[in-house]
Amino acid sequence: MFDPQKFIDDQVEKTRSEVKGKAIIAASGGVDSTVCAAIVSRPLGDQLIAVYVDTGFMRKGETKAVDEMLRRLGVNHIVVDASDEYFAALKGVTDPERKRKIIGEKFIRVFEREAAKSGAEYLVQGTIAPDWIESGGGLRDTIKSHHNVGGLPSDMNLKLVEPLRDLYKDEVRKVARALGIEVAERQPFPGPALAIRIMGEPTRESVDIVREACAIVEEEIEKAAAAGKMDIPWQYFAVLLPVKSVGVQGDVRAYGYTIAVRAVESVDAMSATYMRIPHDVLESISTRITNRMKASVNRVVYDITDKPPATIEWE
Amino acid sequence: MRILVVDNGGQWTHREWRVLRDLGVETSIVPNSTPLESINADGLVLSGGSPRVGLDEEAMGMCGEYIDKLDVPILGICAGHQYMALRLGGKAVPSATPEFGKTLVSVVDEDDLFKGLPETFVAWESHNDEVTELPPGFKLLANSETCPVQAMKHESRPLYGLQFHPEVEHTDNGYEIFQAFLDVCEVCKKG
Repeated sequence: MFDPQKFIDDQVEKTRSEVKGKAIIAASGGVDSTVCAAIVSRPLGDQLIAVYVDTGFMRKGETKAVDEMLRRLGVNHIVVDASDEYFAALKGVTDPERKRKIIGEKFIRVFEREAAKSGAEYLVQGTIAPDWIESGGGLRDTIKSHHNVGGLPSDMNLKLVEPLRDLYKDEVRKVARALGIEVAERQPFPGPALAIRIMGEPTRESVDIVREACAIVEEEIEKAAAAGKMDIPWQYFAVLLPVKSVGVQGDVRAYGYTIAVRAVESVDAMSATYMRIPHDVLESISTRITNRMKASVNRVVYDITDKPPATIEWE
Repeated sequence: MRILVVDNGGQWTHREWRVLRDLGVETSIVPNSTPLESINADGLVLSGGSPRVGLDEEAMGMCGEYIDKLDVPILGICAGHQYMALRLGGKAVPSATPEFGKTLVSVVDEDDLFKGLPETFVAWESHNDEVTELPPGFKLLANSETCPVQAMKHESRPLYGLQFHPEVEHTDNGYEIFQAFLDVCEVCKKG
């Protein structure tokens, strides 16, 4: 069986012998990269700088919360606002693979810039097994290009260090608990963030819509779980669909977008079932989204597809 | 005991490695281009993969050689299972009804792999092709409503095929099925 303490010791040793000099770590505030930061900072200490990139696609309050969490973790870190660059690069882009590749390359360009400032030669990433499996290569089909694997540009000049490559999320969480990481139980959130929860072009306007919807889904589900109505799902969020439909709001015709709510149960993200959310919880999500966001959304649907055949995120 | 996972490009190849590791055996993933003489193992798992075995046999690499010439137990999963059937004279074709995700598998003959398991259990699937005719010398171990051969076994050689994926978390009894295969490997090793 997987032994988290042995894993930590092995990776600390491996980092000590392989990483000679300064390194930066791509830090999103999620469990994978935070575990990675905690492990490699043991041998590297001040030689490590954690870089959090605000892509403009982050959830409500996320950048501030991650900034504070990284401060409490006690690792050197910086927050880079690169949102203008990301929106410019994604102008007119709707294809999910192109989105992922553009975002992956942008991340690397930001990291290269920050690495050059500090003289770092290494880039530490919290890549885990599903990232490289689903990115494909050789005989393996590409399901989606994860930004940190399939989205890497071929000309990047940083040496990659990926201590978690063979782990799945449930094993990463075991390591996180052994390290006392505060985000050990945080739900997964993809690197391309809200950009791949918009079925269409990610603009500041469309991101605002999905950000608000995601916040409502999270709040309502967490409230229901706290009240003992349901368990916290593995992952739960909103997706903005490009489909418009007719509605009626205060005796006035409406014609607005559709939000799909997704909540799944999984252990390792390699297979998943849709969550059996109580209907009254779904109803409060729906009512809150359509009342609060009446200018843009007038219909809410619930995704009842397992993985396979679907994936957890829509893109 | 040492079990190799032959990688045919499956999404769940690495899961097979993980389950074997969790069960405490020495294991590693090898490409399906590994020459026969370099295979040093007490048992082999032929993974699933994106190759459509009826259409691009070449993508299955050296799997045919392993099936023909090795005498250690071999467990073919999904594409590995379909290819085993094809190689030994059975039939594997595009599924009339492909299965993705949850399926109810019915055990016809518990034999070694399903010993002590319920007669029906939930298994996770992901296949476009399937075995429709058993190769000579094989017997049926399990089926489902939309797939006639969910599991098969050679009558005298330790060759097993599973259409569903015991390595996936959502499959019931997956670890037990792998353990049963390891027990077969253990017995064969002792000779």
